Amino acid sequence: MLVDAIRHRLGWWMDNPLLRKELRQRMRSGRTVLALSLYLFIIGAVAFVFMYVNVQGQTLLLQPTRTADLFTFLSYLQLAMISFVTPGIASGVISGERERQTLTVLLTTPLSPASIIFTKFVTSISFLLLLIVMTLPLYSIVFLFGGVVPSQVLAVFGLQIVTLGAIASVSIFWSTWLRRTGWSTVFSYATVGAFFLGLAVAGYLSDNIANHSPDQGVWGMVSGICYSLNPIYMQASLEASLGFASPVFHQSIVSSVFSVVQSHDLSSTESWLSFLYLYLGGSALLLVSCIWRLRPGTFTVLRKRLARWILR
Amino acid sequence: MITTENLCKRYGKTDAVRDLNLDVRAGTVFGFVGENGAGKTTTLSILATLMLPTSGRAFVGAAEVTTDPAAVRRMIGYMPDVFGVYDDLSVREYLAFYGTAYGVTAALIEQRTKELLNMVSLEEKADDYVNALSRGMQQRLGLARCLMHDPPVLILDEPASGLDPRSRIEMREIIKGLRQRGKTVLISSHILPELADMCDEIGVIKRGALVACASVEVVTARANGHRQICVEVLAGGLAMADTLARHHFVSEVLTCDETRVDLLFAGTERDQAELILDLAAAGYQLKTFREVGGNLEDLFLHLTSEEQAAEQTASALAGSAAGQMA
Repeated sequence: MLVDAIRHRLGWWMDNPLLRKELRQRMRSGRTVLALSLYLFIIGAVAFVFMYVNVQGQTLLLQPTRTADLFTFLSYLQLAMISFVTPGIASGVISGERERQTLTVLLTTPLSPASIIFTKFVTSISFLLLLIVMTLPLYSIVFLFGGVVPSQVLAVFGLQIVTLGAIASVSIFWSTWLRRTGWSTVFSYATVGAFFLGLAVAGYLSDNIANHSPDQGVWGMVSGICYSLNPIYMQASLEASLGFASPVFHQSIVSSVFSVVQSHDLSSTESWLSFLYLYLGGSALLLVSCIWRLRPGTFTVLRKRLARWILR
Repeated sequence: MITTENLCKRYGKTDAVRDLNLDVRAGTVFGFVGENGAGKTTTLSILATLMLPTSGRAFVGAAEVTTDPAAVRRMIGYMPDVFGVYDDLSVREYLAFYGTAYGVTAALIEQRTKELLNMVSLEEKADDYVNALSRGMQQRLGLARCLMHDPPVLILDEPASGLDPRSRIEMREIIKGLRQRGKTVLISSHILPELADMCDEIGVIKRGALVACASVEVVTARANGHRQICVEVLAGGLAMADTLARHHFVSEVLTCDETRVDLLFAGTERDQAELILDLAAAGYQLKTFREVGGNLEDLFLHLTSEEQAAEQTASALAGSAAGQMA
């Protein structure tokens, strides 16, 4: 019975009309083709220049450690792309429907608010996932020269997908709760900025206070929490634990990130659990609040159904 | 088919809908008339499960909108007064999207798309993008969209708003066709004559309350025999209103003040001429005596709420008498 229910659900998702419509519309847009081409071109050019500078035109000079550097560099570029592009795509998914005056009609169909929100979530991240998948052949250059194995690439991609999902959830949250896409976009970028830059600054300040305060333990813990909730540091933590810390990044921002990871032991289980709790749990909570907000009485109906089911 | 019981919707201190009791029988076209802000859209939104009522209940068929909204949604086709369309979708894909959302099978979607596009005269536009259609075409497509899952009930909120005269006539003809298909239609408008042509029953909503409800035959029969007349005098309008109220062919004094009286006149033009002579003989210094094109809904409102109007006139006359005595 459970298997049938799951099969039915999966079948519905495969045949989800909103998902098909959204994907069809997105892929028909000329901007999509342009964005995909531009992104591939930029990543390709960056990869080429990075390699060229490192080997001075002599491919045989490329060493496995250098390809690990290239991978680290590309992965940070991709994280930056995720943090910039995701709010732009996801912050208008519901408010845009409201502004185009298509939401009212959508809400009178039997599509549940949950299915609408999850479909919007999936379609928001699908474009970014496509970008990530498209760059895999570029990443495979690093496999050619050794130094990185596919499981390491997948681990970093996994972390980026969790981050992507969280940013999409935050953007959908603002898009559902605020009426205007303009405001939703501003708040989405502000939230992402707070997590990426705000937490880094807060961590840095806490570190400085800890160095001059008798209460070092508390401030050290605060800075550790700030860093462990920041995807930039957690990606460095993951890459450091995979053995990617490299001499090429000495004197750079990335090397300072890696040194913070080591000094705060961000590879610890506690750091990873707090990161995953916040990003996965927080995303789920935000999406549930969107479902509640999208159509009034959704949970009233569910509560009544549950009560009826219990009484039966 | 559509019933509301003491339906109320309150926004802060404002009552958008007040104790609304509505009963739309199956297979009828019910016109919901009222000026802008009267509460039409709020009522229709509650029936379309887009809004929860503050109190009271609303049913579509046997399903209550707050406790079984999913069943209500399957039974209704809702067309809001203003709605948008998706970019980069063809007319065919647009209808297919909504058909699939309602769980209509692919074969049936194809068949209904053909039928409905034919019904709304858009068969030649089937492969055009919906955002490239004119406003009138989009409205007709919206109506076709409402019918994709073949619902027994249609809730149409001002379907002809913003359309040019030709598109309005086309839309009216399509809605008349829906009656032939046995659909129950609840249609709102702020223009009564527009509805009178296609509805079986008409309800008038004013400041959130249903103030009148009657069949179209009653409305038109009562309205057709009356003309709204405006009489302006130099002075003594209130006393003249008293005289007019007792006149044989004056069915009702609508409003009155010291210089102007508006009334409903049920007589012929000859009777009208006699009335002018009578007023002049009674010493009233007439400035104008003219027929005014009062809209049908105002007329309908006055005809169907005679008690209220009579009370208002009586109180105005009593007030003037007290003033004269003082």
